[in-house]
Amino acid sequence: MRAVIGGYAIRIERRADVRWWHTALASVLAILVSLFLVGIAFVRVGADPLEVYSEIIKYAFLSEFGLPQTINRATFVLLAAFSLIVPLRAGLWNIGMPGQIFAATLAAFGVAYAFGAKTSVNAQISGVLVIPLMLLAALAASAVYGAIPGFLRGRLQVNEIVTTMMLNWAMVWIVAHMIREGGPFMGRTAEGEGFTLPTALRVPQVFDLPVTVYAAVVLSVLLTVFLTKTTLGYRIRTFGESPRAAEYAGIDATRISTLVFAIGGAFAGLAGFHYFLGVPGVYKIPKNYADFGDFSFYGLITGLIARNNPIAAIPVAILFGGVSGGARFMQGKLRLAFGIDYALLGVLMIMMVAFQALAQFSLRIERIVPAPAAQLERGESRVESPHH
Amino acid sequence: MSNLLIISLAAAAVFAIAALGELLEQRAGILNVGLEGVMLLSGTFGFIVAKTSGSYLEGFLVAILTGAAVGLLHGFFSITLGSNQVVNGMAIWILGFGLTTYIGYPYTGPLGLTPFPTMGGLPVFFFVALVLAVALWFLLYKTHLGLKLRSVGEDPSVAEASGISVTAMRYLAVLLAGMLVGLAGAVYSLVYNPVWSYNYLQGWGFIALALVFFSLWNPFFVIAGAVFFGVLWQLSLYPELLFPNVFSRYIWRAMPFLITIVVFVLLSTRWFRLRWGATKPEALGVAYQRES
Repeated sequence: MRAVIGGYAIRIERRADVRWWHTALASVLAILVSLFLVGIAFVRVGADPLEVYSEIIKYAFLSEFGLPQTINRATFVLLAAFSLIVPLRAGLWNIGMPGQIFAATLAAFGVAYAFGAKTSVNAQISGVLVIPLMLLAALAASAVYGAIPGFLRGRLQVNEIVTTMMLNWAMVWIVAHMIREGGPFMGRTAEGEGFTLPTALRVPQVFDLPVTVYAAVVLSVLLTVFLTKTTLGYRIRTFGESPRAAEYAGIDATRISTLVFAIGGAFAGLAGFHYFLGVPGVYKIPKNYADFGDFSFYGLITGLIARNNPIAAIPVAILFGGVSGGARFMQGKLRLAFGIDYALLGVLMIMMVAFQALAQFSLRIERIVPAPAAQLERGESRVESPHH
Repeated sequence: MSNLLIISLAAAAVFAIAALGELLEQRAGILNVGLEGVMLLSGTFGFIVAKTSGSYLEGFLVAILTGAAVGLLHGFFSITLGSNQVVNGMAIWILGFGLTTYIGYPYTGPLGLTPFPTMGGLPVFFFVALVLAVALWFLLYKTHLGLKLRSVGEDPSVAEASGISVTAMRYLAVLLAGMLVGLAGAVYSLVYNPVWSYNYLQGWGFIALALVFFSLWNPFFVIAGAVFFGVLWQLSLYPELLFPNVFSRYIWRAMPFLITIVVFVLLSTRWFRLRWGATKPEALGVAYQRES
């Protein structure tokens, strides 16, 4: 696209290849612009933006209570991001994280329930035996719930965006059925939330963090290797770039799309397993469980911002994990209006998505050197070559 | 029973108007999967304006303008910049989800206006949807402009060669579609369920999107599908009207979403796909760059 303003030509072109530093620079710019924009809003409600931001950073990254919260949230967001990244490598959109997360959570709690976990927090159950079972059930359930849209897409060309969204909403109500009004997983005392997991069945902690946190970091490396170095990863990419070419190369569309959605679903499931069975203070399906479904969409944004790169998703996930907790704390401490934490997050996300989109284009402003005007004089013939 | 039908038609109006908008732009080759986001934005802005001004008219106008603006934004990315339409649509959805959450938050609660008038007990906007369906059918199949709109959705380069501006036609399509979807957002937030809450749309935009795929891109099938989903939705809210004491009410709430998937699968049979393939706009979702 080219526009001419005054003596300048402004050209917007799609970059042939977007380098990693374009993306990184765009993200940093997006953060700065967002902080500036929201800063104006803070000034308007009579708060000092610098104080606000320093409170958020102090709480999210430097405080004893905030740091683990940041790490746990970031892990949840990161795993949700992986569940977008794997299908997207094959050109398919998974926005079914909430459904897959709760499919896994219900399965894990189902295993616990079967072993009599609902009776008391001190139930004598062997964690060594049951925790792995819970993990397997969780991953199986979310992989299957994830695989449904993948299979339908591969086999029948059913639009996966619509199906994953439908499955999300169906799951929200299935969870409601399980934990409300006398549902089987309803808490021992509280209406509208799940029973608390017995101490023996909680995800083990290492250095005060659930092992799932370390697993997520290892998985980001493994996933990168899988996607870039293995034959299957190569096939997924080929399919993503051109389904038709992949078909000629003997890659089965149904199998690939089912597979990427199953893997994606399993990652989302692990996110649910991590948060509801591993994070200290939770250990149940909480009342505001649907918020976690929405929270998992931060993973979607993280995956988009990281441009499908599992390692690059780590800092983005930490940013969202930290800001989401820190902003809520700051809002309480400085007595600001409810919803201002959403404001900060919302602007941050929009700016990051917008700058990512812009980073794909290069903007060139060139001064138009006036083409040497042919100085025609009466009777003189026109100069043929422009370069005289 | 007649009660069920009436409230079903009220829900059908929202599904139908949004789906008619999406159908129009899909006919011109533009796929907007961010329908939910457009409806969230337009519904929220319409709600805020109506609540603060006390005027339905202003609320509807703002919603329609918002829908048009967001439609043009999606159009700018999809038509002018030629970037992936699904990515743009997702960005619009996320934008709507994030932006409405914090802009709308202080307005959480009921609209507080006198309920929108009905036509002898029947929902006004269902009739608006019927008129719009006929108008859209007439526009697309009986006018020269409609022929031009459809041709850029079938084969943009041939259309361009025969002197039709693909860019102009597609911008016209996203503008009109945005206005319709914006209207649908306002019908939901001002008339159907005039109470604003966080993420209030509950997936209706995605159901409307599904409806377009079911409809074989035919406006009248959109109306039929919308009535079907309207009934399904209301039955899930009031299952005791037909099936007392079967399942918990939460399982019923999950039904419309699961049945949408089942319908989707049934419609993907070979028989249907042959017809579906025959009516699907050839260039749907494909960016067009003019040779220059």
